[in-house]
This record gives sequence, C-alpha cells and structure tokens, in this order.
Amino acid sequence: MAAYEWKLPDVGEGIHEAEIMQWLVAEGDEVAPDQPILQIQTDKAVVDIPSPTAGRVAKILAQEGELVRVGTVVIVFDSASGSSAAVAPEPEPAVSPSSPALPVSAEKQVAGRRALATPAVRKLARELHVDIQQVHGSGERGRVLAEDVRAYAAGDSRPKQVPGPSAATPRPRSVQPLAEEIRVPLRGTRRAIAEHMVRSKYTAPHVTNMDEVEVEALVAMRQQMKETAGEQGIKLTYLPFIIKAVIAALKQFPYLNSSLDDDTKEIVLKPYYHIGIAVDDPDGLVVPVIRNADQKSLLELAREIQDLTDRAHAHRLTREELGGSTFTITNFGSFGGLFATPVINYPEVAIFGTGRIQKRALVVGEDDRIVARQVMSVCLTFDHRVVDGGTAGRFTNLIMRYLHQPANLFLEMS
Amino acid sequence: MDIAQEFPIRQVIDADGQLVGDRSSVSDDQVKDFYRWLVTLRTLDQRAWNLQRQGRIGTYPPFSGQEAAQVGAVAALQKDDWICGSYRDWAALSYAGVPLSYPLLNSMGHAVAGRIPDEINALPVQVVIAAQTLHAVGLAWSSKLQNQGRVALTFFGDGATSQGDFHESLNLASVVKAPVVFVCQNNQWAISVPISRQMNSQTIAQRAVAYNIEGIRVDGNDILAVYQTLKDVVGRVREGQGPVLIEAVTYRLGAHTTADDPTRYRPSEEEQRLRYGEPVARLRRYLLSSGLLTEDENKQVEEEAKARVEEAVQAAETFPKGAPEDVFNHVYADLTPQLQAQRAEFQRRMQQGGTARG
Repeated sequence: MAAYEWKLPDVGEGIHEAEIMQWLVAEGDEVAPDQPILQIQTDKAVVDIPSPTAGRVAKILAQEGELVRVGTVVIVFDSASGSSAAVAPEPEPAVSPSSPALPVSAEKQVAGRRALATPAVRKLARELHVDIQQVHGSGERGRVLAEDVRAYAAGDSRPKQVPGPSAATPRPRSVQPLAEEIRVPLRGTRRAIAEHMVRSKYTAPHVTNMDEVEVEALVAMRQQMKETAGEQGIKLTYLPFIIKAVIAALKQFPYLNSSLDDDTKEIVLKPYYHIGIAVDDPDGLVVPVIRNADQKSLLELAREIQDLTDRAHAHRLTREELGGSTFTITNFGSFGGLFATPVINYPEVAIFGTGRIQKRALVVGEDDRIVARQVMSVCLTFDHRVVDGGTAGRFTNLIMRYLHQPANLFLEMS
Repeated sequence: MDIAQEFPIRQVIDADGQLVGDRSSVSDDQVKDFYRWLVTLRTLDQRAWNLQRQGRIGTYPPFSGQEAAQVGAVAALQKDDWICGSYRDWAALSYAGVPLSYPLLNSMGHAVAGRIPDEINALPVQVVIAAQTLHAVGLAWSSKLQNQGRVALTFFGDGATSQGDFHESLNLASVVKAPVVFVCQNNQWAISVPISRQMNSQTIAQRAVAYNIEGIRVDGNDILAVYQTLKDVVGRVREGQGPVLIEAVTYRLGAHTTADDPTRYRPSEEEQRLRYGEPVARLRRYLLSSGLLTEDENKQVEEEAKARVEEAVQAAETFPKGAPEDVFNHVYADLTPQLQAQRAEFQRRMQQGGTARG
C-alpha cells in the first residue's frame, strides 16, 4: 500500500480555485478507479471528479463549502499497489496514514454560498490578500466587483499603515464607499438629439468664427418698439431683428442657405428661408421652424416665436413644425453665454449664434476714446465642405452691419 | 424544391436497433468489428474525460456520439487516401491506425501528437475551424494532377459550415473537380450555438446545390448507413465525378470540451431525447436483437475495450517527458533558417539556466 495524495487539478482552462461542493466518499471507504468521489464548482461549471486510483480513502483534507486553490492536496488514498498510483503525476514523499502533519489547506472556511465574482476579480482579491467571501458585493445579485475588493483591501490595511493614533497627525478620514453610478437610458428626445448631433459633427467639418458688434442702435430701436408690441400683447425680443438681419445677409450669400446632397454630390441652394430657432427646454433642445420668415414682419415673427416657444415647452409641436429649416439661429446669450461653438443643424450648412448683450469698453473715434457701449457677441459655425472662411467671414460681417445699423433693414423690406 | 424530399436522411438501422435498410454489402464480421471499435472509442473518450478531471491530462474535446460518423467514413477509404480532421476527430484517426495514446498525449501537451505516423495519410488535428477543408482540397487536387488516384476526406462540424473556408473549399473543389469527400458531422451545436441560430437553411447537404455538386444526408448515428453511403461516394469520387458533400446528422452527447458546461445552455430534455439513438447503444440493440451478439460476448467486448484503453493510458503516462525545444519539431520537414536561429538561441538561454519563458 502506498499513499496517493491527490491534488485539485485545473478542470477548466485557467481555473485557479474551486469550491468543494460535496464529497461522495468518506474516510475509510474503498474506491474503484473512475468512481465519482467529489463534486466541485469552478467559475465555469459544477464538475464531477472521478477517483484517480483504486484503494481506501485515508484522509479528506478539504471540507464542503471550502474554496481550494488548484494544486492543493484535497484527498489522500491508501492506494492498491500496481494500480494507477504508479503513474501519479509527481512522486510524493510517502506519508503514513497516521501522520498528523499533513498539509491542511490554509483557506478559511466560510459557511454559506460562494461569492459571485468574475475570475479577474478573484485574481485581484488573491493579489490583495483579500478573502473574497468576506467582501460585500455591490454588483448585480450581490456580485463582488473589483472596486469592492479594493475598498475592502483599503479598509482592512489602514490600521497597519497607521500604527497608532498620534496627536500630531490627523486621523485619516474614513472614506465612504462611493455612491453607485446612476444609469439613465438614452431615450426619446435625448436620444434623438444625441444621434442628430453625432451625425452633424461627424459629417460636416465644423468651423466657427466669432466676433463682436456694437448694438446701441438696435437696443434703442427694440426698446422703442417693445412698448408698441407690448400693447398688442406681444413680447418683442431681439430674435426677430436677428432673423431679419440673417435673412438679408442670406439673400446675398445663397450658399449659406443650402445643403449638401452627399448622394448626388450637389449643393442644393434653397430659394426659401425657413429659419430654425433653438429653444432651450428642460427635456432637451428643440428647434421649431419659422417658415418663409423673409415674408413676415417683425411683429409677426415675434408672435410666432412666442407661440412656437410656448408650445415647445408644452411639447405640443407637430413634426412638421420641427423640421425643414434651411438655416438655424441659436441665442446662447439668453442663458448668459458670451462665446460658443454651436453645432450645425444638419443638413444645413451653417448656424448663427448670438451671445449676451452687455456694456463693454470700446475704443472709438480718431482720438482713441474709450467708451462704454452695448455690445453683442456673435458667431457662425459653418460646414467647411460647402463654405470657406472668407465667405463665412463676409457673411457674418454683413449680418453684423445690419445689427449695428438696424435701420438699414428697412431698405431690404419688400 | 422540397428539401426534405430532395435530401432524405439515409438510414439502415433505426434508433431502436431495427434493420430498416439494406446491409447486404456488409458482412456480419465487419458489423461486429465496427461494434468493437465503437465500444473501444467510447471507452477511451469517457476515460479521457475522467483523466482530465483527475488532473492527468489537459483540455480534451470529447467525441462521444460521433464515433459512427467518423469510423464509418474512414472505413470506406483506401489505405493511402487522405484524412483531414479537426480536434474532435480522434475516433477517425484511431480507426485509421493512429495509436489510442495519441489523443491523450495531445491533451498532455506532447508535441509527438502533432506528428501522425508516416504510414498513415492523415494530417494532424486542426483547431482552426474549417481550415482543414482547404487542406483537403489541396491534397485532392494534387492527387488528381499527379494521377495518384487518392481521395481526400475531410471532417468538420456544423459550425464550420458558417465559415468562409468551408465555402471556398467547396467552390474550388467543384471548379477543379478535386476528388474530395466533405463529411460534415452535424452534431447540432457549435459550442453553445444551436444549428437553428447558425444557419437559415433547412439542411447542410442542400448547400451542395450552390456549388453544383452532390449533397447527401445520412444518419450519422448509424454506422452502416454512413459506411455504405461513403463506400459508394468514395468510389465515384475516385473515378472523377468531382467532390461530394455529406451531412452526417448526429449529436454531441457531451460538452464542447472539458472546459465547457452544456447544462448552462442546452435543455436536458433535448439531451435525453437524442441520447437514445446514439451510435453505440443503437448498434448494440441491433446486434443483440438480431442474435449476432450475445450478452456474454458483449461483456467480453467491453472488457477488451477497457484493457486496450488502459494500455493507451499507460503508454501516454509513461511517455518520455517532452523537452521545451520540441515545439520546433514536426511543422517543417527542414527547419527554416530563421527557426534554426531561434532554436539555437532558445537552447543557449535554456543552458544558461533560463526558463522556457525566458
């Protein structure tokens, strides 16, 4: 009779450890080769282990529920000579069955269910000398995540790093486990915006130019008209003036009121002026469209803007009212912005942005006087496939001229 | 086209072991010899599974359930025909004459398992899915160009038919009329992917139509159906009719490999239902019910099988340990200058006390 120590093998591909589920034999039992003796559970499967030899079970060294490393001796047989014991993988020093000095697994036995964790996390736990059974899993169905192991390791090792409370050194503040991330499904308007923005940004090469325009006259004109409009129950903002200035400029720069047909490789020049206006809403940006804006008066534009904005917030815009614009204007100044690089409302080729109007110091006159004036910052993002910097600059300059001297807009009115 | 009518499953012995076809071209002795092989191979396969669980061999891909398809096909070949199989085709190679210890040596990492003995015209097992079908076309085409009269037979699984290599092989073989027999062992599962999620065709055999070659479905659990069908097909292919695609409909009784656990993805109801008609039990039912075999003789067959397998285990476990530089052997007949230099460098570092990892 010879002692046959059987080590837990890697029963999968790259298994490091397994849980002893159930012993199917007891110490003292006689076993035949290939008789099932043990059930273990690995990361991948529950596996039946057949006896590697014939003989008597001398010693069982791992308890049910125990997590055992591959290569650990879990059972010792008194093997019948001439059996497969002759081909045991490594000849081990003979150990008499009564010897008490058998290497017992150092793994701590933990009652209950085995912790859920991926092999990578288990490896991390081993590296950090963390017993994964002791770690509270914050993942799905209590799964132990890498950060759980790291947090546990950090908490566990801190007392060793700080040998004793010292009066001089402040005690390290106990670190609260980080709150879980919140995952919000990308749906509805948010998803539509995301897809639209990505399409625009990855299709059209965006270039933005920025400038400032002195708008004293515009401020005064709007102030004057505001009262008249208010009498009719209409809130007159700067937007109708900006729309008029933009359309006047678009008429001289038709390529800014176009789109690029990728399929036919044609630039489509639009003979109509449907102006999209970006409306900020808590549920996501919407861009209602003012159709044939060139044919509408300032007052009509103001009324329509008010109506579209109200219904945008109430989510009562129709699909038709939300599409078909040829050029879009965004007023990022309404929430305080001074400069921005707006994203083109694809398939349009440009978007005009207006910033906050505020008093700024300007140098004026031949004698270089510094004066305080109402100044609006503006920008134009354009699709460089269709428009070049020169054209875009000249177009912006023209809009700025109308905004600077809004009375000229009357020259354009039909 | 009515696929079921166009591609019926040929059967000689049904799942109950009843003779439902013609077996007149197979002698009683031949049937009994087949049975001895099937029992031996099944014993080997189950033993290999246990050896892996005992930590005595590494990862092993069991072929249980597919013995009839492999043995029946190889039995229809002549001695110098080519066999190009995959990692699950050790039953075919064993029947062709490769020692039973080789599948074990292969899973123990011995390089020798990659060197098929010279007297057997078989390629080493292929792990890249469907790649061996290309090799078979090459060997067959070469045989044709040199008038060697050799046929190349290649085994592959249902999953392989979703690979480009498979289609390229059928196409080229069809164009050049290479003497290839494509034997698909449709075991219903590509690891964890069932055939229903693998293809939209009703059968694998019907794919032959696209290449204008003959396609045949045969019960892969019925060794007499496989053997008789292949005997006829191999003969016609040898005479120059061009390649043929065989779909041997069978079932993978076990896991994909020892690292796999099919209970996670495969309904046990399916396993129980399909296990009944498996090739060894089926042939045993036929032999016992027809009086060709007695219970005592059957016991003897099983004992002989165990003894043969035990010998193979002993042979594998007493095989001299491999040397790290064995990896340079058996791929090229003559090492390329680059590999010669690599081997020299490798040996120098090993002598300096380095490890195989460097």
